[in-house]
Amino acid sequence: MMNRIRKIFGSIWPEFYRQDDKHLGHYLTFTDYRKIWAIGILALVVTALVPLLVVTVIHYRLLQKSVDSELILRAERLTSNARRAVTFFLEERLNALRFTVNEIAYDQLTDTDHLAEILRNLKLGFGGLTDLSVIAHTGTQAAYAGPFNLEGRDYSNQRWFIECQKHHFYVSEIFRGYRDVPHIIIAIKSFRPDGAFFILRATLDTDRLIQTLASYETGAHAEIFLINRSGIVQTSSKHHGEIFQKMTLPVPSYSQRTHVAMAEDDLGESLIVGYAFISTQIADTPFILMVIKHKAGMMQVWQQLRSNINWFVGFAVLIILVVIILTCSYMVNLLYRADKSKAQTMALMEQSNQLATIGQLAAGVAHEINNPLALINETAGYVKDLFVLKEQYQRDDELIGYIDDVLDAVERCGTITRQLLGFARKFEVKIQKVKLNEVISDVLVFHNKEAAYRNIKVYVDVTEDMPPIETDRGKLQQILVNLVNNAFQAVDNGCILYIEASPDGADKVRITISDNGCGMPEENLPKIFEPFFTTKEGNQGTGLGLAITYGLVKKLHGEIAVKSKVQEGTTFTITLPIRIGEEII
Amino acid sequence: MKVLLVDDEKKFATMLAKRLALRGIDIDYVYTGDDAIAKAGTQSYDAAVLDVKMPGIGGIELERKLKELDPCLKIIFLTGHGSKTDFETGSAEAACYLAKPIQIDELIKILREVIG
Repeated sequence: MMNRIRKIFGSIWPEFYRQDDKHLGHYLTFTDYRKIWAIGILALVVTALVPLLVVTVIHYRLLQKSVDSELILRAERLTSNARRAVTFFLEERLNALRFTVNEIAYDQLTDTDHLAEILRNLKLGFGGLTDLSVIAHTGTQAAYAGPFNLEGRDYSNQRWFIECQKHHFYVSEIFRGYRDVPHIIIAIKSFRPDGAFFILRATLDTDRLIQTLASYETGAHAEIFLINRSGIVQTSSKHHGEIFQKMTLPVPSYSQRTHVAMAEDDLGESLIVGYAFISTQIADTPFILMVIKHKAGMMQVWQQLRSNINWFVGFAVLIILVVIILTCSYMVNLLYRADKSKAQTMALMEQSNQLATIGQLAAGVAHEINNPLALINETAGYVKDLFVLKEQYQRDDELIGYIDDVLDAVERCGTITRQLLGFARKFEVKIQKVKLNEVISDVLVFHNKEAAYRNIKVYVDVTEDMPPIETDRGKLQQILVNLVNNAFQAVDNGCILYIEASPDGADKVRITISDNGCGMPEENLPKIFEPFFTTKEGNQGTGLGLAITYGLVKKLHGEIAVKSKVQEGTTFTITLPIRIGEEII
Repeated sequence: MKVLLVDDEKKFATMLAKRLALRGIDIDYVYTGDDAIAKAGTQSYDAAVLDVKMPGIGGIELERKLKELDPCLKIIFLTGHGSKTDFETGSAEAACYLAKPIQIDELIKILREVIG
């Protein structure tokens, strides 16, 4: 089961991630595909996701501001409407009292029956009145109409009586009074014909006022209630204090206009607080209208919308990430496969080149052997001829000489075959100490005949203090064979080839192979180490010789450079380290 | 039948010349192209046996120069390279190519054929 899972996972996993191409290292154009993959993903993620996230944040903020503005606007409207309702409630009743004292004479007002009739009419007309009483200038109640028997009570020391004397009108806070029932007193001062003042006082039912306020409460997250200017709650609030308790929020500062602001309660919950100081045209009042909206409750729709947006953005980010990762993996894998295919071709070509080099050497060797073999053949044939055609050669010096020639020719063949075997052995991968002059001689031995035939002069100059270098002799030999072949192909008969080697600093050697042949145009120089680049006409060149040479030099941790001028010649310079570790080959 | 043999392998040329002489062929042998041209300038030959690869004037060039001196001269090339490709790069007018080491009887047979 685990194996199957591993197998499926392995087939999905990109090839380049396995890093099983170390043997192709030098031929791959890019070495770290994981890094390319990671950079690609990072670049695409930044390009694709940053704008999306920035736009989302901006969108959040705009929506938030828009929702806040809408909430404040609604709260302002609600506060303003409730303020008008409360103001109207009080103003209407103050006006009713004023009409009463202006229209009805004091004597009639102090008539209890008449006063009861007036109370009944006021209740019918306006409602919300509990009782009605006339207070003489002495503070004594002169007449009373209502459910309680309060006639004869002395109010001279009561605050409302004193205030009403001063300001002619009075609206009290909500208080319990003698009856221990929450109520509001409104009073108006007037004068009798003899000049003495009296006060017409009415007790208002707070239930009516509370109902009026409650009718403006919309939803479970809004509260409307009254406080006095000291912050004492006048009509009960669910969250901010019972009646006659101190409100949990700070008392707002005085303002003639309706105000709305953001605030936080003790628990840190966001609130929208609207307030208005209630003042009628007739008299000022002690009330402050409070409109409190709990933002969290009001924001539920927005929270739901934000949650939906979050899910959508999260899903989009996930899809984008998956698409980016899959696309990057696919593209990098394609690139890797193409590169790997090229590298495999190059590695194969290197192998073919080695075989071709050996084949070339074999052909050269065959030629070299054929000449002594021909001599053996002719000499032995001549000896045979002598025995067949003449019979007097028992101890003939000439005959002995010819037999020596045969033996010499055999020795020549032996030398050549030993060189061939030695050369072939040197293609095994092995780090060893190599003397450059020996390697160069080994390479040139098979070009001697062609050099002589084409009258090409080959000068070798290896400085005497040249240290032996530790390297792979076979690869170095193949590099030199390729470059000497290249030079032989580039020069005309009678040209000159220089091979020089000298130390390059303390830890490197430099080998130069120069010819005075046809040279190459400058525009071709950057391309000559590219695979399949050739200037040879027809099918004479594969375009791989110098590319493989380049790869081999890199394998030996060296550098190769070329300089060339048309009709002047070409110089290849190889720089190799004096010491090379076996593990890096 | 008068034949000129040219090969830079001196001992080979000497041996081959002696064997041809033993078989009744009138043969001159030299080791360089220049000597061959000099020889052909003074004497007339029915055929020339030339090594392809020689220092200085090679076999192919020598063939051209000898033909200038005597257009009727028949040419047989000897080569150390045994492959067919080497033969194909040579002169079209050459009578024959023989790969070293050669069979003496085959050479004499070809000489007789080309000279008629």
